[in-house]
Amino acid sequence: MTTLKIPTPLRPYTDGMKEIEIESTNVNAVIREIITRYPALKPHLLDESENLRSYVSVFLNDEDVRTLQGMDTPVKQEDHLMIVPSIAGGLSSESAIAKVDHAALRTNQAMIIGLLLIAFVADLPTLALIVGVIMAIGTVLAKPGFILSYRLLRQWKVIKPEVLPDNPEPHSFAQGFGSIVLFGAAIAFGLNGPIVAWILTWVVIVLAGVNLFLGFCVGCAVYYWLNRIGLPLFRQESPAGRFPGIRPPKV
Amino acid sequence: MIQIPAEFFAQIQENGEEHYPEEGAGLLLGKVHGEIRIVEQVLPLENRFQPGARHNRYMIEPQDMLLAEEKADELGLEIIGVFHSHPDHPARPSEYDRQRALPWYSYIITKVTDRLAIESRSWRLTDERIFNEEQLQIK
Repeated sequence: MTTLKIPTPLRPYTDGMKEIEIESTNVNAVIREIITRYPALKPHLLDESENLRSYVSVFLNDEDVRTLQGMDTPVKQEDHLMIVPSIAGGLSSESAIAKVDHAALRTNQAMIIGLLLIAFVADLPTLALIVGVIMAIGTVLAKPGFILSYRLLRQWKVIKPEVLPDNPEPHSFAQGFGSIVLFGAAIAFGLNGPIVAWILTWVVIVLAGVNLFLGFCVGCAVYYWLNRIGLPLFRQESPAGRFPGIRPPKV
Repeated sequence: MIQIPAEFFAQIQENGEEHYPEEGAGLLLGKVHGEIRIVEQVLPLENRFQPGARHNRYMIEPQDMLLAEEKADELGLEIIGVFHSHPDHPARPSEYDRQRALPWYSYIITKVTDRLAIESRSWRLTDERIFNEEQLQIK
């Protein structure tokens, strides 16, 4: 039997039991079994999508199962499992969200789309690579790659800032993802595979277009989903009441 | 009700002042006697939230919780709650606090303004995931 240790705050839901013995083959089955035995535990362990809550960890003999095989980590009879909460909190959600200038993001998207279309029409693979490099530099600096173009447009009063409460990290992630796809295109060009290369380039054009014209950042949505499954580098949660990746409403 | 000796209460408030303008946090170790909880040790912990957002966020990682559990076991105590500070904000739970709170624990929140602890209040989450204020008695 595998022993599962229950943290103090959850013991009221397990009839005060501190440790429970369960016959099972992996972590996921252990968690499902404990929820079957004690259904009141469910809302405190699983989220609405039936995944382990991001602030609930399971340790197998002092190792976080996320560093092993996650919920599929096998368990043996003599193993000790522990449910360990991480504790988080802070000031209100709204004051916690940083500000993002969406006019700068849109300028960035427009520049990416424009330059990549020119690269495609004029058959200029180097230009596509340059766009990828600029996006990568922007990602490293945590700014839109074409921030200088935006600043010029602002100086010339062509565009006005639109600062909205939003998390900057998902936008950085989206840009970084775009630059990686363009590097993939560059490699495809190098390997004499122009069709694959231009398809990859068009993936970036389409995703930037969806963001610019429809207000949906696919890369941001991916970032928030990775946050939901608890990947450690993806710490920002999607703002409450908003579908992940949708542009925040104007204030 | 949660009872807390004056020296530990002072330690909690000083922790909030030291971390200002960021949030300070830690755990309350103690014993439970029916409806009365008695704090017998406070365990200030590092705020593991990413730098740049610690002015309005705190996080105690599971590894720290594991060590705290071991320490509590050694002392014959239990983790009975959490304390954290709200720089320049009221000593009551935010919606963000509520969404991430666990039932049963006592949550002591300290309002800190201009590096000075103004007020500390204790809260507990109900099964319906609503925070109720809990009487905090300094002994």
